[in-house]
Amino acid sequence: MGKGRRNAALGMAAGWVVAWLAWAPASAYGPPVDGAPLGGNLTIGSLVEPPALDPFHQAADARIAVSLLMYQGLMYEDPSGAAQPLLATGYEVSDDGLTYIFTVREGVTFHTGAAMTAADVKYSYDYIRNPDNGSPGARDFNAIDAIETPDATTVVFRLNRPNAALPMTLTNKYGAVVPAGYFDDDAARNRMNVESVGTGPFKLVSFQPNSLLGLARFEDYWEDGAPYLDEVTFLFMPNAASLLVALRNQRIDLAVLGRPQDSEQLAGVPGLEITRFPSLNHKTLDLDANHPVLSDVRVRQAISLAIDKDELMRAAIGDYGTTIGTIVAGMQDAWGLPLDQVPFQGPDIAAAKALLAEAGYADGVDLELATIIGYDWMDPAGATLAQQLSEVGITLGINKVELGVWISNFRSRQMGFTFNDWGTSPDPHLLFYRHYHKQPSGADFRNWNNDDASALLAQGQATADFAERQRIYKAFQEIFATSVPTVMLFSPDWVVVTTERVKNYVQHPTGWYFGLIRAYVE
Amino acid sequence: MTDMCADREAAGTPCSRWARRFGRSLRRHPEMAFGFAIIAVLLAMVAVPGAFTARSPIAIDVAKGLQPPSAEHWFGTDDIGRDIYARLVYGARVTLGTVAGALALSALFGGLCGLIAGYFGRWTDLVGGRLVDVVLSFPPIILGVVITGILGTGVGNLMLALSLVYLPVFYRIARSGAIAEAACTYVEAARALGYGEARILFGHVLRNVVPLVLVQYMILFPLALQIQAALGFLGLGVPPPTPDWGAVLEQGKNYLMFAPWISLFPGLFILVSALGVILVGRAVQRMIDTA
Amino acid sequence: MAHYLIKRLGAALMTALLASLLVFLLVRAVPGDIVAQMLGQAGDDAAAERALRRFFGLDQPVWQQYLSWLGAVLQGDLGTSWTRGTPVTDMVLKAFGVTLQLGLFTLAFATLLGVPLGMLAGIYEGRWPDTLVQAFNLLALSAPVFWVGLMTLIGASLLFFWSPPLVYRPFAAAPTQNLQIMLLPVLSLGLLQAAAYSQFVRQAVVSALHQDYVRTAIAKGLRTRVVFFKHILRNILIPLVTFMGLILIQILGGVVIIESLFSLPGLGRLLLTAIQTRDFPVVQGGLLLIVGVAMAINLLVDVLYHVIDPRTRAS
Repeated sequence: MGKGRRNAALGMAAGWVVAWLAWAPASAYGPPVDGAPLGGNLTIGSLVEPPALDPFHQAADARIAVSLLMYQGLMYEDPSGAAQPLLATGYEVSDDGLTYIFTVREGVTFHTGAAMTAADVKYSYDYIRNPDNGSPGARDFNAIDAIETPDATTVVFRLNRPNAALPMTLTNKYGAVVPAGYFDDDAARNRMNVESVGTGPFKLVSFQPNSLLGLARFEDYWEDGAPYLDEVTFLFMPNAASLLVALRNQRIDLAVLGRPQDSEQLAGVPGLEITRFPSLNHKTLDLDANHPVLSDVRVRQAISLAIDKDELMRAAIGDYGTTIGTIVAGMQDAWGLPLDQVPFQGPDIAAAKALLAEAGYADGVDLELATIIGYDWMDPAGATLAQQLSEVGITLGINKVELGVWISNFRSRQMGFTFNDWGTSPDPHLLFYRHYHKQPSGADFRNWNNDDASALLAQGQATADFAERQRIYKAFQEIFATSVPTVMLFSPDWVVVTTERVKNYVQHPTGWYFGLIRAYVE
Repeated sequence: MTDMCADREAAGTPCSRWARRFGRSLRRHPEMAFGFAIIAVLLAMVAVPGAFTARSPIAIDVAKGLQPPSAEHWFGTDDIGRDIYARLVYGARVTLGTVAGALALSALFGGLCGLIAGYFGRWTDLVGGRLVDVVLSFPPIILGVVITGILGTGVGNLMLALSLVYLPVFYRIARSGAIAEAACTYVEAARALGYGEARILFGHVLRNVVPLVLVQYMILFPLALQIQAALGFLGLGVPPPTPDWGAVLEQGKNYLMFAPWISLFPGLFILVSALGVILVGRAVQRMIDTA
Repeated sequence: MAHYLIKRLGAALMTALLASLLVFLLVRAVPGDIVAQMLGQAGDDAAAERALRRFFGLDQPVWQQYLSWLGAVLQGDLGTSWTRGTPVTDMVLKAFGVTLQLGLFTLAFATLLGVPLGMLAGIYEGRWPDTLVQAFNLLALSAPVFWVGLMTLIGASLLFFWSPPLVYRPFAAAPTQNLQIMLLPVLSLGLLQAAAYSQFVRQAVVSALHQDYVRTAIAKGLRTRVVFFKHILRNILIPLVTFMGLILIQILGGVVIIESLFSLPGLGRLLLTAIQTRDFPVVQGGLLLIVGVAMAINLLVDVLYHVIDPRTRAS
C-alpha cells in the first residue's frame, strides 16, 4: 500500500517519521533455523501453574509466560529493548507523537479459522483499554484516545499524549488480537481455558488443573515453517525437589529454574545441559512512604546504606545473578545510571547509623518485613537482611504472608516493608511509570508521591529521542536512589536445564517461553 | 463405640497406686524406659537449649553454607551457613511448644465443652455435636491452611489453628466419658445427697474423664507434630529466622540431592520425638488400664 | 432400623448444611479475593475492579451469595470455577477419582501388610517376631508421612535412577503408568497405615487369646487354625471395618503434601490451589464433597455395625 494513499485517507500532508517499514518478518522471536527438523514433542516442567490462560483478565506472570504461545500482539518485545513487528508489519508515527499508524500483517489466521483484519485489532485493543472490561493491563493503554481502521490492513491509534512506549505496550504481556466480538458472550473468557482463539504458533489442546497444559502446532500459522515442534506439554509440579528429580531422570526435557542455584544439584548429570541467560526480573525491597517509621526519608536512606546486596544475593540465589543499582540488570547498559554514580549504596554502617540517629532512632527501631510464602529466595534473604540491619540498630521481625493476602495488602497501598519480585518488558516507561508515578495516572503503591520523579516519568513517556530519554531516566534514577521508595537488590539469571535432544532454546529475558517458538528436538 | 463402662472403671482408680504400678510396668516393658529417656532429653532441650550447643541457631555465615556434617557442625549447615544441629536444638522449644500448647488448648476447651454436652445432654449436645461433626470432617491440613490464611502466620496463630483441628476429638472423648459417668449410680447418689450439679460435674465426673483426655493427648501428639511439620513444609509455619523443625525440613527440600542432611535430621528429630511420646503414651495407657 | 436410619440421615443433612455455611464464611474471611489476584500488582483501576467483582457476583451481600449458591447446589449444580471456567462438579469428581484410588490402594496395601504382621505379633506375643513387628510399628507410626515420601522419591532417584511418571492417567486407561505413578505415594502413606493396622490387629489377637473361651478351645485341642478363624478373626472383623472407614476418611482429606510431592492431581491439591487462587466455588464444592463422603462412610460403617452386631442397637 502506498504511503501517499494512507496519508490522504487520514487527511494529513506531511511530517511522518517512518519506522520499521520493511522489517524482515521472521526476525521476531529470533532468527529462524534453516533445516531444523520438524515435529517431535517437548515436555517442560514448571513449579507454577497459570490460574487461567486469558490474556485479557489475568495478570499472573505464569499466565503471560505461556499465553504468548497462543496469542499475539501487534509487536514483539525484542530483548534489545526495541519493539519489533509481529502481527503488524510496521508502523509510522506523526511528528507530534500523537498518531501511530500500524500496517496489519496479511495472511494471518486465527485458531478459529477466520482471517485476521484490522477490525479484529481495533476490537481487541478497544476491549483491553476500557477499564469496565476489567483488564489488569488497562492502565498501560490509557494514552490511547481512539482507534480507527481506515481500511482492512491499517489501524490508527490516536493518543491523548505522546507515548514513546506505545509499540512496546502493544506486545504480548496484556491483551492480544482475538476475533472481533469475541467477548460479547460473557462465558467467552471461560472458554479460553478450553480452546484458544489467537493467532499464535501453538494452539491449546488441553489444560488440566494441577496437571498439565498441552499445546499443539497450529497448522495455519502465518510464519512459514514455524514452529518446529509438533507438541509442547507443560507439566506442573509444585515441589522443587520433584522437579529436580524429574529433570535428573529425564522425565522432562526443559525447565527454567526458579532458584538458579538448584542447577548445582544437576551439574554433571549425564544428558543434561545447563545454560544461563540474562534477565529482566529483579528482586526488590519496597518501602511504604506512609509507614510511621519509613515515612522519614533518612530511615529509608539508612536502610539502603545498611544493605550489603552482594551478601543478600549470595544468600538468596548463590552467585547466579547480578546485583543492581536502580534498574534491572538487562536494562542497565541501555538505561541505567552508572553503578558508581548511584547514591546511598551500602554497605556503609557508619553513614547509616548517623542517618538513623538524625531521624531520632539512635537507640534503634523495630521494623517488620513481609515475605511471601512460596517465594523460596525470600526466606534466606530475610534472615540475612535481619542480620545486616541489626548492625545499624534496626531489629527486623519477619512476617510470612500468603500471596493472595500480600497482593491484597499491596493493592490497598498498605504494603509496609516488604520484599518484592517482579519483571518488566524492556522499556523504562513500562518498568517505572505505573509503579512510581504518583496517583492517579500511576498506581504508586508505595505512596511515594514524588512530584519531581513523576514529572520526569511523564517527560520520559512523551520523549521519542533515545539520548534524551536516556538522560531523563537517569535523572529519575538519581531521585529514586536518593529518596528510596524501593531498594533494588539483584537480578537473578535464568538458568535453563534441558536434555540433550533440545536444540536452540533461547530464554527470553522476561522469563516467558518465547524460546519454544524457535526450539526443535533431534 | 468403645466400651464406656470399662473406661470409666479404669479411670476411677485412685492416684496413690500409680507409682507402684509404674515401677512394675517399667520392669515388664523396658522399651518404656527408652521412651521416657527421649522425652527427658527433649524436655531438657526445651528448657536449656544452650546446654546442648554453644552455637547460635540464627547466626548467618553465607560463606559457610551447605557444609556437610563434620566435627564442627554435627548435622552440617544450611544454605546460609546456619548450624543445623543448633537450629534443631533451639527448634525443639518452638516445635514441641507449639504442638503441646495447641493440644493443651484443644484438650481444655474441647474437653470442657464435651464434658458439659455429655453431662447435660439435650440442646448443648445437639449443637455441639453437629459443629464437631463439621470440623472433624474437614481435612486437617486444609483447615490449617484456611485458619492461618485468616489469622496470618506466626507461632501463636499456628497454635490456634492446630488446636482447632483437634478440638473435636477431645470434645468427643470427654463427651462419651461424661455420658458414661452421668449414667453411673454414684452420680444419682450424689444428687440424692443434695450435691449441686456443678459440684458433681467438676468434683467427680471431671476426675474420671481427665485420664481419658490425657491418653488422647498422648495419642494425638505425634499426629499433631506431623501436621505442624506439614504446615511448616507448606510455608505456613513459624516465620524465619525462628528455628522450627518443619521449617528446616522445608528449607532443605530445595537441596535434597545436594545437601540431604538439611531435611534428613529434622525428619529424624520429628520421628524420634513422636516415638518417645508414643512409648510414654502407652505406658500411661497401661497404668490406667491395669487396675 | 428405619427410624435409626432416618435419624442418622437427618443429622448428616444438618451437618452438611452447617458445613456449607461454615466453609462459605471461612473462605471469605481470608483476606484478598480472586479479583485482587487477577489484577495483581498491575491494575489498580477502580472501574476494572468493580467490573470483575460484578462478574463474579462478589458485589452482592454475602448472605445473598450464599443463598444463590445453596439454591444451585440443591439442584445439583456446584457452579463454575472462577479460574478455569469449567464446571466445579467435573473438576472435583475427577480429582476425587485420583484421591480415591490413592486411598483404596493404600488401604489394600495397609491391609495386606498390616493384618498379617499384626496377627504374627499377636500369636507370638512377647517373642522375637512380636518385638520386630512392634519396632516396625513404632517407627512407621512416628515418621512424618511427607518426609518418608520425600526420602523415597530422592532415594529412588539416587539409587535406582528412577522417578515416577508425571502425568496421572487412570488405571483403566494406562495400567502400567498408573501403577508406576501410584507406587511411591502408596508406599509412603501405606507404611503408616499398615503400622496402625498391625498394632490394632495385634491388640485384638492378644486380647482374644486371653479370652476364656479361646483358651478353652485351645485346651480342648482344637487346631490353632480353626480357633483362629472361628473365634479371633470373626471378633476383629467388625472393628477392622470401622478402622478402615476412619483411615479412608483420613486419606481422602489429608494427603495434600503427598499429592504435591508426586504431582498427583488429587482433591487435596485441587483444594489447596483453589484456596490460594481464591477460587471459592471450587473450595466450597470440594469441601462439600469431602464432608459428604466422610459422612457417607461413617454412616455405612455404623449401619454395618448395626446390622452385624445387634448389641449396639440398644445404645
